[in-house]
Amino acid sequence: MQRYYDVRHVAGESTHIDIDNGVVESASSSLFDRAVVRVLGSSGWGVVSVDNYSGEDLDRFVAEALALAGLTGEAVELAEAPHRVLPVPPPSDDPRSYGLDEKTRLLAGVEATARAPEVRNTRAVYTERRETVRFASSDGVEYAYELARSGFNVLAVAERNGVVQMGYERRHAVNGFPLRSGAACGEKARQTAIALLDARAATGGRMRVVLDPELAGVFAHEAVGHASEGDLVREGNSVLAGRVGERIGAPGLTIVDDPSLPEFGFDPVDAEGVATVRTELVKDGVINAFLHTRETLAAVGTGLAGHARAMPGEVPLVRMSNTFVENGDATYEECLAECGTGMLLIGSRGGQVDPGRGMFQFNAEYGFLVEDGEPGAMVRDVSLSGDILGTLHEVALIANDRRMHQGYCGKGGQSVPVGDGAPHILLSNAVVGGSGHD
Amino acid sequence: MDTIEAILERAAGVAPEAEVYLSRAESVGAELSRDRVRVGQASHAVGLGIRVFDGGRVGASSTNDPSRWEACLEAALAAMRLADPQPWHGLPAPAELPAGRLAFDPAVTLAPGAVADLLDAMMAGAAEHPSASVTAGSAGLSRSSVEVANSHGLRYADEETHASCSIEAIAGTSTGFEFDASHAADLDPARVGEQAAFFAAHGVGGEALAAGTYDLVLSPLALAELLEAVLVPALVGRNVHAGRSRLAGRVGEEIMDPRLSLYDDPHRPMGPGAAWFDAEGVPTRRLDLVRDGVLAGFAYDLRTAYRFGADPTGSAVRGGYGGAPSTGFHTLVLEGPVADVMANTAIYVRSVVGAHTANTITGDFSVEVSNPSFIEGGAFTTPVRTAMWGGNVFDLLSRVEGVSTETRTVGEMVLPALRVAGQRLVG
Repeated sequence: MQRYYDVRHVAGESTHIDIDNGVVESASSSLFDRAVVRVLGSSGWGVVSVDNYSGEDLDRFVAEALALAGLTGEAVELAEAPHRVLPVPPPSDDPRSYGLDEKTRLLAGVEATARAPEVRNTRAVYTERRETVRFASSDGVEYAYELARSGFNVLAVAERNGVVQMGYERRHAVNGFPLRSGAACGEKARQTAIALLDARAATGGRMRVVLDPELAGVFAHEAVGHASEGDLVREGNSVLAGRVGERIGAPGLTIVDDPSLPEFGFDPVDAEGVATVRTELVKDGVINAFLHTRETLAAVGTGLAGHARAMPGEVPLVRMSNTFVENGDATYEECLAECGTGMLLIGSRGGQVDPGRGMFQFNAEYGFLVEDGEPGAMVRDVSLSGDILGTLHEVALIANDRRMHQGYCGKGGQSVPVGDGAPHILLSNAVVGGSGHD
Repeated sequence: MDTIEAILERAAGVAPEAEVYLSRAESVGAELSRDRVRVGQASHAVGLGIRVFDGGRVGASSTNDPSRWEACLEAALAAMRLADPQPWHGLPAPAELPAGRLAFDPAVTLAPGAVADLLDAMMAGAAEHPSASVTAGSAGLSRSSVEVANSHGLRYADEETHASCSIEAIAGTSTGFEFDASHAADLDPARVGEQAAFFAAHGVGGEALAAGTYDLVLSPLALAELLEAVLVPALVGRNVHAGRSRLAGRVGEEIMDPRLSLYDDPHRPMGPGAAWFDAEGVPTRRLDLVRDGVLAGFAYDLRTAYRFGADPTGSAVRGGYGGAPSTGFHTLVLEGPVADVMANTAIYVRSVVGAHTANTITGDFSVEVSNPSFIEGGAFTTPVRTAMWGGNVFDLLSRVEGVSTETRTVGEMVLPALRVAGQRLVG
């Protein structure tokens, strides 16, 4: 028996430009067209992913998905949720108005600014994806929208006396064209790579640390965001399950996920037609709500649907979008002064979390030793780890200078664009890892 | 005339050389949520990749709608005009390849019932450790085909099958996971379930670890994570010549323990990337990367080989359907001094969290150990609550205590467990 079906069809064009040590390796565009048909049978879902979709085949795919739903034993229910499609923000600078040759020329300019005598390799990559998303469900919900995401990254690798270090910068935007003003990123990558040649390996241990907005954003994403995903909560694979209302951090600490915000994780409507909304995961230091799809909301409760996201042709999953720590009332200077002796950690090389065990780990691009509240010597290869339930209590000060950064987040084999952000924050007792020795 | 012939014929009028890569895949699978099947899945995938070549300029494009091959060819030509010319000595001519499929098992059928059997067997295996409960799992079966053809008359086709299953379990806040993947219908789903539940159950009540220096036994999984992050990219020719590999300029030097060897073995039947030809139609061959600790060479696709004056090594791979070729490996095998690595006291490292954050150039890493536990006399003893491990992949491989007899396929690698001494952990 078929209780519900929906079809999400995404078609468009992606562009990729790769310039390596001054050579245009590729500057090409490709076409894609993928759809996913989901059918809710008498118990669970049947799902068919199909390339090169044509609406004429819908009945055949619905029948195939219904047969697959026959494998399932879990009784899936769908919560009611409001439907709404937000207007897509008008392009501030439309990547579509630049030709492939113009983009290649601009990227070459960024790559050139990363060069220096001690820099032995520079590489810059531009990516762009324009897509048209069409959705229809057996509930009669239908929508279509067009969106373009574009951005670039630049890498500088410096070497001196056998020591090799790198600097890496990236900028991405929704309906914008950050490449146009990208030269500063090339310079920053070059400066970081060269400065790291003189940095020392960090010595691990427990200490006070100040996280910059980029790293603190990754901290919010890894330490709280993943464990707040409704599917993990339902599976019993999150330490936050059953803890709504419990204090996890000091008053004043609020962590939010908001796909309706026009940042890099923006969705005008979620992947199952539900209105995208702001969800406060932690409110004033207390576990407040989880992220949900219609299915996980029905199973778990506490929170709002509207957080379903999917790559073209893939099954929608509960995902973060724009995840951030709200501004506090301290300043960056106060965070450093209160830190006294410790470390200031800058930038992110990614992170990972085991939400069931409640442990997370992420790496800074680099850091500075802090003495008497002043940043001093630079350190490299430094990481931070902790447990979700303990670490937020260590957030001692929250500054008022929030910034958002762009990245991609992987889960279940799907990678989706996300924005992470925070103001500077001070952790009073953090576990820092590094390969150096005293 | 089929699509491939039509593309090559049209391209012949506008570019001196052209290549077409067409892949198709059908799959069926299912996912568990706790102990129930939540979703049954199928997919129908197709990818068409076109490359055109003129005077050392290369242009590429792809689509998953083969009926739009004309637009795809136009995009490839536009890309070709923008690319900078590089040394190029031509696509391969047809060669006599051995007959037979290296990665195909007719017993892998796309039957939903076979998927359900895999899930049931994993659940039954997990039930051997009743203190752990299953949180999620999946199983999948697929069949795929590839065709590569070029304007020199080369046209090869291959088919492969794939089966996989994985499961996650939890006991308290201790988690465990396990998986198996193969081209053949030879998965051991009961063992997969049992192992995931074992690691979850065993980790309960883990003790705090005193910071210090320990002997470690890296499971093939943990070893794969570290090698994939640091060593594998350092062996890719393009990274070497672009200054992104610590191994650049060191062929002939000892870079590892002299008892370790690493090679790519594309002809190993049912090896993860087993194939007679690579993604550009170059015949594959055994490629020695590290022989008795000495760096023997690097891997190259055609473009990087031609550019840097190296011999093509048949190492082109394609990511996804219709993706452009890049350099990769087929079946990387690590061999070393066999020893009973589990015999003496050590900390067993099942897997690590954060290997992808390692410094890919220097090899420095700082990771969290998953499921750390003391081992003694071949048995798991006291579990450890948490351990941070900082080290360097190249240093790690420069002196090893021994490797296990048993190996395991992880991704494109076939690896033993590896024992190392003197590693610094923080609890």
